[in-house]
Amino acid sequence: MIAALLGADSFTGAVPTNIAFAIVAAMMIFAAIRVVTTRNVVHAALYLVLVLGGVGINFLLLQAEFVAITQFLVYVGAIVVLFLFGIMLTKAPLGVSDDLDNRKQRPIAAIVGLLMLAVLSFALIKTWTDQKVPFRLSAATNTTELSDSIFSTYLIPFEVVSVLLLAALIGAIVLARKD
Amino acid sequence: MGGLIAAAGWAPPAMDWHALAPEVILAAGICVLILVDVVLLERGKAFASAISGLVLLAAVVPLLTLAVSDDTSRSLFGGAYVVDRSALLLKALFIISGYVTVLLSTNYVAEGEYWESEYYTLLLSSVLGMSVISSSRDLIGIFIAFELLSIPSYMIAAWRKRDTRSQEAGFKYFLMGVFATSVLLYGMSLLYGASGSTLLSKIGETVESGRATPAVGLAILFVLIGFGFKISAVPFHSWAPDTYEGAPTPVTAFLSVASKSAGFVAILNFVFYCFIQNSSATDVVVPVVFVLSALSMTVGNLIALKQDNVVRMLAYSGIGQAGFILAPLVVAHDRLSDALPSIVVYLVIYSAMNLGAFGVVIAAARKTRSAEISSMNGMLQWAPGLTVLMSVFMASLIGIPPIGGWYAKFSVWRSLLQGATGWSYALAVLIAINTAIAAAYYLRVTKAMWFEEANDGDVTPVDVPPSLRLALAITVVATLLFGIVPSLLTDAAAVPLALGH
Repeated sequence: MIAALLGADSFTGAVPTNIAFAIVAAMMIFAAIRVVTTRNVVHAALYLVLVLGGVGINFLLLQAEFVAITQFLVYVGAIVVLFLFGIMLTKAPLGVSDDLDNRKQRPIAAIVGLLMLAVLSFALIKTWTDQKVPFRLSAATNTTELSDSIFSTYLIPFEVVSVLLLAALIGAIVLARKD
Repeated sequence: MGGLIAAAGWAPPAMDWHALAPEVILAAGICVLILVDVVLLERGKAFASAISGLVLLAAVVPLLTLAVSDDTSRSLFGGAYVVDRSALLLKALFIISGYVTVLLSTNYVAEGEYWESEYYTLLLSSVLGMSVISSSRDLIGIFIAFELLSIPSYMIAAWRKRDTRSQEAGFKYFLMGVFATSVLLYGMSLLYGASGSTLLSKIGETVESGRATPAVGLAILFVLIGFGFKISAVPFHSWAPDTYEGAPTPVTAFLSVASKSAGFVAILNFVFYCFIQNSSATDVVVPVVFVLSALSMTVGNLIALKQDNVVRMLAYSGIGQAGFILAPLVVAHDRLSDALPSIVVYLVIYSAMNLGAFGVVIAAARKTRSAEISSMNGMLQWAPGLTVLMSVFMASLIGIPPIGGWYAKFSVWRSLLQGATGWSYALAVLIAINTAIAAAYYLRVTKAMWFEEANDGDVTPVDVPPSLRLALAITVVATLLFGIVPSLLTDAAAVPLALGH
């Protein structure tokens, strides 16, 4: 991401893309902070939509259209909806709840978060500052390449995923059913 | 259809079905299990254990034919999936551990009103994941196989649904595992970002060229931490004792042996095919491994001293053993041809003796309904055979020659001394001290069995079903054989080292 931000080429439309990227990223940071500080569990789930949707938009700006659509479908479409169903069906408190935000842990959480941020930013910036991601104007062929490699190079992981989903399904039914 | 594919410029990958045969058999076996359950319903339950045992034995056959075939290093999908001697040995370890687990589970699951055929389906899925991870030399392959071996094991840890301790076991294991996975994935994404490839060999070249150093250093740390949870290395061990105690005991045996070995295999793949080739990566690997190893063996063994429950004791002893197994990695850069075989040898022998010890615990619990050490009092009077077997396994875990465990410890120790660095000498001393500490708690079990009086004078003999007998026979033969004739194992483990690069 940093590489993409810094890698502005002069004429290809990379500048507006980078500005849009920065705006979306700022919105994601705000929403991510609200996810952990809000006292309403439904609001937290909705802020999460902003974070995950922002990731999707940024993938789109990086011209990874297939990943972007998957991000919207799976995270925004399925996972957050599942959260909301979970909240509704389990009689969790819908309004403001004081337990949701533990004030005593805030300083420690902030310190840990900032430390992680410092370490990660150091490693990422030091490694990739001078590298640029080329900005392509040509028609995207990512999805074609992706499907080709799924059915050739990554055939075994693809098949293994199907066994994994089957096993997860069977196990989840056994553990969740009443008997 | 064919014309369409050709028009898209796509060529089907060349498949080596012989190399993939063990995985194909396991996957087909999973389907058969599900179909038998769906078609025969209640009547099918009786066959579930037998079918899964047969499937696992059938999967051993292609391993043998691959081992004697002319081409012992098969590389598929551009090097993403490699079937060489070390992969075959590890697959054999996982599949036979899986078979012993099926034998241990047969009566336990049938008599405990658990969901039977689903249990074996998940167990086989997990073994399939382990088999795939032994061959994967690619980030995506390793990650997916790691998930396939982990997710079913989270669920079978919670299989005693009516017991809150089992629910706690599954839930803790799941949460810690998912957390570790996210750390691992972040490390993998950094490795991909640094090298632009998912192949371990390509990433190794990037690491070697010294490009992208801070990010790669962080990535190595994250990857080691991610797998550190799986092998329950201190400080990532907190889930293990509760999970081991709450899970059904055969599942605990499976987790402490197969699951843990799979974590080690993943670490070995990363270290040997990716991190070890240059010294700047070694600068990160060696201190991290040293800290994990030293802490695991010391903390694990000290806490094991205070346990009154055999399963918890074996959990902490497993943490301590994980420290021993990690130790040779500190000399891996200079002494590759000693470090890798000593780890593989340790994994095989550890699996045999630990599965055996759990087998005796399961057999004894059929009478006592308990896993407390005190419940084994006077076992000599009511189960002399089990007493002798347990003494063999405990002696092996301590490392008394000529039983398997001594050779495992000896080979680790030798590779450390030959490495001759400050780190390796320090670990060799720690191993010696910890072996002495460990002897105390293993001997405590032996003492309870041989010298205490039976509780309430109850000396009715325990009934050991045939499948448990077979499991104990397999493990005790392996434990003794590898101790008396270690060359059987070292010959099999030594060949891959030449192919390591």
